[in-house]
Amino acid sequence: MEYIIEAENLNVYFDELHILKGVSLKIPKNTVTALIGPSGCGKSTFIRTLNRMNDLISTFRMDGTVLLDGEDIYNPKVDVVDLRKRVGMVFQKPNPFPKSIFDNVAYGLRVHGINDKDILEHKVEEALKGAALWDEVENILDKSAMGLSGGQQQRLCIARTIAVEPEVILMDEPCSALDPISTTKIEDLIHKLKKDYTIIIVTHNMQQATRVSKYAAFFLHGEIVENGRTEQIFLEPCDQRTEDYITGRFG
Amino acid sequence: MEKRHPRILFRRRLKELREDVEQMGKKTMQAYRDSIKVLFNYDEEKVKSVIETAQKIDEMNYNLEHKTLSIIVAEQPVAGDLRFIEACIKIGSHLKRIGYLASNITEVAKQIKDQEVPEKPMDDIVHMADIVENMVSKSLTTFLGQNMDTARELRRDDDKVDDLFDRAMSDVTKCMIDDPETISYLVYLLFLARILERIADRAENIGDRTIFMITCKKP
Repeated sequence: MEYIIEAENLNVYFDELHILKGVSLKIPKNTVTALIGPSGCGKSTFIRTLNRMNDLISTFRMDGTVLLDGEDIYNPKVDVVDLRKRVGMVFQKPNPFPKSIFDNVAYGLRVHGINDKDILEHKVEEALKGAALWDEVENILDKSAMGLSGGQQQRLCIARTIAVEPEVILMDEPCSALDPISTTKIEDLIHKLKKDYTIIIVTHNMQQATRVSKYAAFFLHGEIVENGRTEQIFLEPCDQRTEDYITGRFG
Repeated sequence: MEKRHPRILFRRRLKELREDVEQMGKKTMQAYRDSIKVLFNYDEEKVKSVIETAQKIDEMNYNLEHKTLSIIVAEQPVAGDLRFIEACIKIGSHLKRIGYLASNITEVAKQIKDQEVPEKPMDDIVHMADIVENMVSKSLTTFLGQNMDTARELRRDDDKVDDLFDRAMSDVTKCMIDDPETISYLVYLLFLARILERIADRAENIGDRTIFMITCKKP
């Protein structure tokens, strides 16, 4: 199996708080991996470690390694802007910029130096089609993104992420603020996207994890209790703590 | 430490499901025992009661299926809970079938009630009936107590019943050859042996479902 991300013995601290404790996880390429676990268990911290979003927090420190395509992303020579192009992120709440729909999607492309109008138009269209939003916005590209519904805004954020053609997309509870129909659209989109991207999704919705992911990892108290094929985890978990969590006995 | 969430309503619904299977099991045992009694001491009222009990078990099985579907829809169970619910559905259907097989035993009883059945094949049948009764009872305690040891025992018990079935076949055939006059009613004894063997299979299957429920692996 080909792994795109390999985290090895990762320890993360915020001040004296030991958030991740010796976490090791390999993420297979072009698959969806779901991270599950109760609030505060370290899931979000873990994915933020994968594109160095934690670097922005002054009290953050870590040891261990994170390899992306075999290269250590914490190597001082790594360009963080380039890293975040390769490892994109979609957040819990849709966060479009207060700009037009077009400019939202073109934003990342412009940051990376693409200013040619024709190329931008082509890439924005491709990204919006990829995010299953094009049909709904093709005639209102110059309108404010803030006027879109929550579900459309989230797909716009996905379009903005895929416009720069990342290798990995991190999704931190991308559907928790959405209604069931919008959630279904995002889940269908995740299925479509995995052909071209590797997706890591944090979710509190157990059924969503079973629907969208091939692999799953269960986090508890900053450690990975169990990881493997999602079907196995939800049908015959090896660890009693996993069983207790997924069957709703604690959380 | 995490906050414990016992999911009170869900646990209660699973407990009810278990109690329903237990009730179905009691009815099934009753139908089976009565059907065997009828074999040796024909009683029209008891025959009627066995048939009614089998129909009641069938009805209980539909109710059980309805409940399991409601729980799946409402609670979206996973892991051990899901495997337990699946086992209840399967076991309910085995119990329903045992109930109807008990009804079939009463039909045999009706056919042989006035006949002098030779001792030899009848001994085999009595022996089979005892083991089968024990197997049905054991299959229920196996599921309700989630007991892997007794589940495995059921497989060995079924082998014994299969051997006795072969012996009964041979003894009945011998009697038929010795006295062709007996064929008209001894043929029902063959049916009976076959019914008992099928009930034993169902009991073994309940044990197998229990093993699958516990291990998620084919026994």
